[in-house]
Amino acid sequence: MLRLAYSFFRRDAAIAFSYRFAFFAQFTGNILLLGLLYYVGQMIGPQALPSLDRYGGNFLAFALVGVALTDTVMVSLISFGQQVREAQTTGTLEATLMSPVPLWVILIFSSLWNYFLSAFRFVLYLVVGALMYGLHLGQAHMGSVLIIFALTVLCFMGAGMAWAAIVLVIKRGEALMTLIVTAVLVLSGVIFPPSVLPGWLRSLGALIPLTDALDGMRIALLQGASPAELAGPIGRLTVFSIVFLLLGVIGFDQAVRIGRRNGSLTQY
Amino acid sequence: MMTAQNGSHSPRTQPTGEAVSVLVEGVSKRYGKIKQAGQSTGSDGGRMWALRDVSLSVRRGEMVGLLGPNGAGKTTLMKCIATLLEASAGRILVENVDVAREPRQARKHMGLVTCDERSFYWRLSARENLRFFGALYRVPRRDVDGRIEELLAALGLSGAAERPYHSFSTGMRQKMAIARGLLTDPRVVLYDEPTRSLDPVSTQRIREWIRESRAHHPEKTHILATNQLTEAEQLCDRVVIVNGGQIVVQGTVPEIRERFGEAGQSLHRLVCEGVVESELPRADPDAGVWEVSWERSGDGAAVIQLVADQRGEGLSLVLASILRQGGRVLRCETRQASFDEVFCRIIAKEQGAPEAATEVAS
Repeated sequence: MLRLAYSFFRRDAAIAFSYRFAFFAQFTGNILLLGLLYYVGQMIGPQALPSLDRYGGNFLAFALVGVALTDTVMVSLISFGQQVREAQTTGTLEATLMSPVPLWVILIFSSLWNYFLSAFRFVLYLVVGALMYGLHLGQAHMGSVLIIFALTVLCFMGAGMAWAAIVLVIKRGEALMTLIVTAVLVLSGVIFPPSVLPGWLRSLGALIPLTDALDGMRIALLQGASPAELAGPIGRLTVFSIVFLLLGVIGFDQAVRIGRRNGSLTQY
Repeated sequence: MMTAQNGSHSPRTQPTGEAVSVLVEGVSKRYGKIKQAGQSTGSDGGRMWALRDVSLSVRRGEMVGLLGPNGAGKTTLMKCIATLLEASAGRILVENVDVAREPRQARKHMGLVTCDERSFYWRLSARENLRFFGALYRVPRRDVDGRIEELLAALGLSGAAERPYHSFSTGMRQKMAIARGLLTDPRVVLYDEPTRSLDPVSTQRIREWIRESRAHHPEKTHILATNQLTEAEQLCDRVVIVNGGQIVVQGTVPEIRERFGEAGQSLHRLVCEGVVESELPRADPDAGVWEVSWERSGDGAAVIQLVADQRGEGLSLVLASILRQGGRVLRCETRQASFDEVFCRIIAKEQGAPEAATEVAS
């Protein structure tokens, strides 16, 4: 399996490097986004949002962690469906389906490169934030950071696979995904704390795992909280991960069966 | 509807005394309600039948051609065998593995050669593509590079191994599809129109390669879906003609030519002088004359087109009539009906309501 994982990684890396301009341009965009957040933070000022006290009171640090982790979440949510759709439209899906490897494994492996890039961007955001905008990460609890990061990836990996199952069946789901992503970004508090939302929206936001992931990651990175102190978010993320992964694997398997039955697997 | 030519030969699925590599038993494929007329071959209250009760047996080492008009069900049958489609009824065994129950196990025995030239990664080289698919198809690491080298050399692609796939010609891309299909050294190779869109030279090269490959690996089983009848005639031991989702004829090409009524005819073109049309024999299948047509050429000679039995009785009758009139045969050309013509006649006959398969081979 390791060899297969490496093959997918190497394939996607080779394809990505063959588009050199696009590859390097994406990082420039990421760094410019940090500049944008920095100046918004300057405008708001340190005391503008008391609800940020829980995270150290610094808007840039708050938003930067939000953007960095959301990048990984977006890869999980979108990448699987995108891979399926690309394989359908480029014609590689049929050849891929001839593999004796379970399809959900292929699906995960086909996003390894995207995960690698996302993890790289996560670190890049933090490093550039520290070097250029004075972000302090000295107190971060790395154990907690890794646990939250891994659970976030697993949880949204499941959600992404469920999404890929939907893409297999309905083919074009971009509009629906845009709607879902926007709602998730607003409710979970990527660049503003959920506490500023009206009560009923806050309740809705609490049902989204990204809310716990962001809260846990911010406290771990900016306040140095230990895993024990983050038992709540970690516990809820674990439950979300199990449910979503099961839902994703079973849903994708069912979608493939439906596609095989009605002959729509390679249609797009 | 055609019926079996030999009453003792019902459609068979299990040849005796030889190992069966691919067994298709009573396979039907029905799609849900489809609004527009399209791919399928028969409707049933809005449901479309792509295959109806298809049974077929392919012996180990045999190459069988799947022929039929567009929408006949060839590709659907291939996809059902390849596990890409789930049959609605019946069962398919590939090397004794049930493709519905153990699809992943069945795939280990099969290689699929598609005609879709887009099905590779265009930014990767030929070797990178094949390495990737080698890993995906679980070719052992120690074997994969050697296997790729061997296939690239056999297909004449060694010199282009490091070139990106997008720089390949259509013929080279088709060769890549063959290489990918054979990467796992499969026992069963499924070719889905391997020479579609190729120029005649590339087509001939690929056919020669397949023929040589069969000579070197006589144990491999091949199923070829094609619209090119010459290809089936050149390569296949046996052909299966599908129409309306059913197998209507199966046998060797000579058997099909020989056994199917007017398909076993000879076509004659006689250029004569001193002949009167009204004195020529009329079409009479009992006498071996199916069709007689007449026209005057520019120089006044009579040109008689004759469709007659292969035994020569019909031709003898017409020649006797010419000589009786005191006429003279200036030129006589005889040819057998091409397999294309035989095929078209079979399909034309089948355009009614196919009911049962006809077995030609004994």
